[in-house]
Amino acid sequence: MMGGTTRFTGVVSLAAVLVLACGGAAGGGTAATTTGEDLVIGAPMSLTGSQSKEGALARQGYDMWLQWINQQGGINVKGVKHKVQLKYEDDTSKADISAQLAQKLITEEKAQFLLGPYGSATTASDAVVAEKNSIPMVEGNGAAQAIFNQGYKYVFGVLSPANVYLSGVLDMAATLRPKPATVAMLAADDNFSQEVAKAVVDYAPSKGFQVVYSDKYPNGSTNLSGLVANAKARNPDIVLNSGHLQEAIAIHKAAKDLKLDAKLSAYSVGPSTPDFIVALGKDANYVFDGSQWTPQVKSTASFYLSSQDYVAAYKKQFNTQDDPDYHVAESTAACLALQKAIENSGSLKPDKVRDALAALNVSTFFGQIRFDSRGINTFKPMVVEQIQDGKHHTVWPANVADATPQYPTPSWSGR
Amino acid sequence: MSAAMPPPSSETILVERPRLLDRRRLRRLLVLLLVLGAVLVLLAPLTATDQADSLGAPQLVDRSQIRILTTVAMFVVMASAWNLVGGLTGYSSFGNVAFFGLGAYTCAVAVDAHRLHLPMAAAIALAPLVPAAFAALVGLPLLRLRGHYFAIATLGTAVAVGEVVKNVDYLGGATGLFPPILHRADLLFLYLMVGAALLAVLVSRLILRSRFGYGLIAIRENEEAAGVIGVNTTMYKVGAFAVAAALTGLAGGLFALWNSFINQELGFSLDFNIQMILMAVLGGAGTLFGPVLGAIVLELLIQNLAGRSDVAVYAQIGLGLLLAVTVIFVPRGIVAFFGGGSRLSVAHLRRSLRETGV
Amino acid sequence: MQLFVQQVVLGLLIGGVYVAVAIGFSLVWGILNIVNLAHGALVIVGAYLTWLLFARARIDPFAALPIVAVALFAFGYALQRALINRVIRAPLFFTLLLTFGVNLVIVNALLVIFKSDFRSVTPSYSGSGFGVAGVQVPYIRLGALGVAVAVAAGVGGLLNRTRTGAAIQAVGADREAARLVGIDLRHVYALTFAVAAACAGVAGGLISTIQAITPTAGEPYTLQAFVVVVLGGLGRVGATVVGGLVFGLVETLGQTMVPGLGAGWANAIAFAILVLVLIVRPQGLMGRVA
Repeated sequence: MMGGTTRFTGVVSLAAVLVLACGGAAGGGTAATTTGEDLVIGAPMSLTGSQSKEGALARQGYDMWLQWINQQGGINVKGVKHKVQLKYEDDTSKADISAQLAQKLITEEKAQFLLGPYGSATTASDAVVAEKNSIPMVEGNGAAQAIFNQGYKYVFGVLSPANVYLSGVLDMAATLRPKPATVAMLAADDNFSQEVAKAVVDYAPSKGFQVVYSDKYPNGSTNLSGLVANAKARNPDIVLNSGHLQEAIAIHKAAKDLKLDAKLSAYSVGPSTPDFIVALGKDANYVFDGSQWTPQVKSTASFYLSSQDYVAAYKKQFNTQDDPDYHVAESTAACLALQKAIENSGSLKPDKVRDALAALNVSTFFGQIRFDSRGINTFKPMVVEQIQDGKHHTVWPANVADATPQYPTPSWSGR
Repeated sequence: MSAAMPPPSSETILVERPRLLDRRRLRRLLVLLLVLGAVLVLLAPLTATDQADSLGAPQLVDRSQIRILTTVAMFVVMASAWNLVGGLTGYSSFGNVAFFGLGAYTCAVAVDAHRLHLPMAAAIALAPLVPAAFAALVGLPLLRLRGHYFAIATLGTAVAVGEVVKNVDYLGGATGLFPPILHRADLLFLYLMVGAALLAVLVSRLILRSRFGYGLIAIRENEEAAGVIGVNTTMYKVGAFAVAAALTGLAGGLFALWNSFINQELGFSLDFNIQMILMAVLGGAGTLFGPVLGAIVLELLIQNLAGRSDVAVYAQIGLGLLLAVTVIFVPRGIVAFFGGGSRLSVAHLRRSLRETGV
Repeated sequence: MQLFVQQVVLGLLIGGVYVAVAIGFSLVWGILNIVNLAHGALVIVGAYLTWLLFARARIDPFAALPIVAVALFAFGYALQRALINRVIRAPLFFTLLLTFGVNLVIVNALLVIFKSDFRSVTPSYSGSGFGVAGVQVPYIRLGALGVAVAVAAGVGGLLNRTRTGAAIQAVGADREAARLVGIDLRHVYALTFAVAAACAGVAGGLISTIQAITPTAGEPYTLQAFVVVVLGGLGRVGATVVGGLVFGLVETLGQTMVPGLGAGWANAIAFAILVLVLIVRPQGLMGRVA
């Protein structure tokens, strides 16, 4: 009760300050716009618990956009600018808590729209709440297609679905010489990773690769040496993993321990984060990953920032030397999709915005954002990056690449 | 090493038992339940359902609170059910979440259009049956174990069942299952879950009053002696285990339909597993209302400490400290703490500090 | 055949880590009759200390182990005297409540201090090793196994050859009798917990060299310690060693060598075996019949 009262007072005084500030801005600038009520957007997020790392990255992405949009004076709805309040709730990385908090955000915090949590299981749980309440939820951190195969109408994912995560790597591998011939696939047993793996096993033969080994392991395993030894016994040219950062590090360490000399190693999640390079040092070199986005992606942004400016703004806002990784970018992209849909619909009504989301087709720093009939963005290609001398470089597709793939990977004894 | 559990808690319960049988108390309980039910029915129009929204009626309970209440009721079921085995019979099960998961998956498979495609009522009817049958099956060998060994064997069973579910595609595999969303059903599920909670309390009450219940307590106090005086210990133990499984499975089944998404992580959540035990112990294991009270207190705490984005980490630390403090100062559960008027005193605190060896 | 030998080697090596993790857990359980749900958190505290010493002071992780052990010993002693001692005679589930709470506090305190970044200890010899007939043996994992065996021997020596150890064992066997012969129960309880925490710290140090660590990385190890102790049998160091190595083998071979089943079934198999062992042989593989 006490917390509620103080928060309420805080909101009132904040609103008062905003009204004063915006009044001044409107007087000096564009006369056509006026300032409306604050727009409240809710986001359950993994701030503690097992996915707090990824949750922190996603939150950075949301905060990037939040700062920017409020500097612009807010979201423009038919000439009325609405400042944005973004309310986070910590779901402790648990799907049941996340759903409850999504409901709390909608009913008690009066959130008019939702941004997604981190992870496929939490996203699936929150999607149900969004759907039951007819509140649009735009998410950038749950790529499992199962969520989008349920016929939900209010859930939109700006990211490319799981099944294309590693297909870019295979496309690229098919162009490399000497051409690799065999693939080993190690996948975690969560829904996202399994979709990635299934797609690889289905797609690889069409590119002339033979899948010589494919197995799944319990999500979160740190003891993966046995599987890597199994893979090594098949002598694969390409080693692929769809899983998570912890497992990617474990597999790469095991590959070195066991001298598994693949010509090409690619992991779906992990290498794009700075932690991967810090954890593995020089051993991280030559590793590829399928990425939703890299700073090198050159797409013409019709609004917001260009990729280059985005990277600079990120470094400034969070006072870091690291580039934003794709978790950050896809989260910002979710905000952009929501913003544009609100502006396009010229309304704050959930149903109108929902329809505008379904019809959305914009070009952003993140790439094209457009949803298929299920609500997921199948129109944006994945890119492939590689760690070269401790730095991330985009190596595929060629039109956005800033470096050529370093291939084949030298043997462990040879570096 | 595997010395019998120290007796203080059981003494307390033995002292309290006659009071549980008090007729006046029973009548008061029934009146309370009836009033509660009446209040719920009367409040229905005042809650933020779609119908009420459109009427513009004043709202006492919003959807978020309905959701929290539903969750609390769900844990009342699970804690009460656990209490039948852990509190009453003295077999500290660490794997009751297996029943929750089995019930949840039973319902999810039953209503799934590509699987059994049964009506919802049939699914709910099946939800207690499958876990109960499973409990009867594994209960026979498991309940031969005692103390820590039983605890770990049940935990191992729960983890193993969850892992099997995750590997079987018919059961949704890694993806999980998505029971169809029922719109405008918030209140329905609240009432179903509260109904399940009342059922759990009622069943506990009946068992506590019955020959069956005495038999279970006899097993807890001294299993060999219970056998000697003619209690069929195997039948009693397995019976209690199966009843607990049925109730927990019912909660799981309702959860799956209500949440419209179930995967191994949710259905066999080790958090739920620990929480139901914590609730029963916090409230007072072996008592009728202890688990109910524990479930309400702890779940409301968890729900209110989650969220709070700015202080998220500190909220979790606070929850941990609170648990520690509770255990030290309220070692016999809330019910015992408030049970006798004189206990709530400085002298009691001092005594409990001394007893716990400061 | 070469692959099979490789898998056996890997299983035994990872089993060493499980031994290190489980020794402290077994000690607290066996002597204090407390199932310590915060054990994994203590392991990760050790891992973070090792990381701090490595990243800030450039101290080799194996050289850091004694420092970590001493620090965790002190922490464990204080924790036991301040909190855990107060429920030492309470029923099983009260100790669970308390240690569950302690676990929450430690994990989230780590989150405050170290954030959720993945930390890793990567000395220069990380990833190197030797091969015999195509079977690879990484130095770090071999070192970890060696340390685990040394810790086990040390704890075994402490218990069986010193007065303190005799007192600890006496308390484990019969508290009242121990008190009657003049043993200071509270001190012995705290000492036991402190030794267990020190072992957990060492285990954490080893783990920091073979995987990336986060504040929540300890939770799986609590579960593994459970399994190892049950497999081996409660109360004896030798039994824990056997339990840990067997579990490492079962897990690795179960993941990789069972025809027709993928590694996804590894956990299902491991826990099914656990339950079977309990039913058929509750005293554990190595335990004496009670």
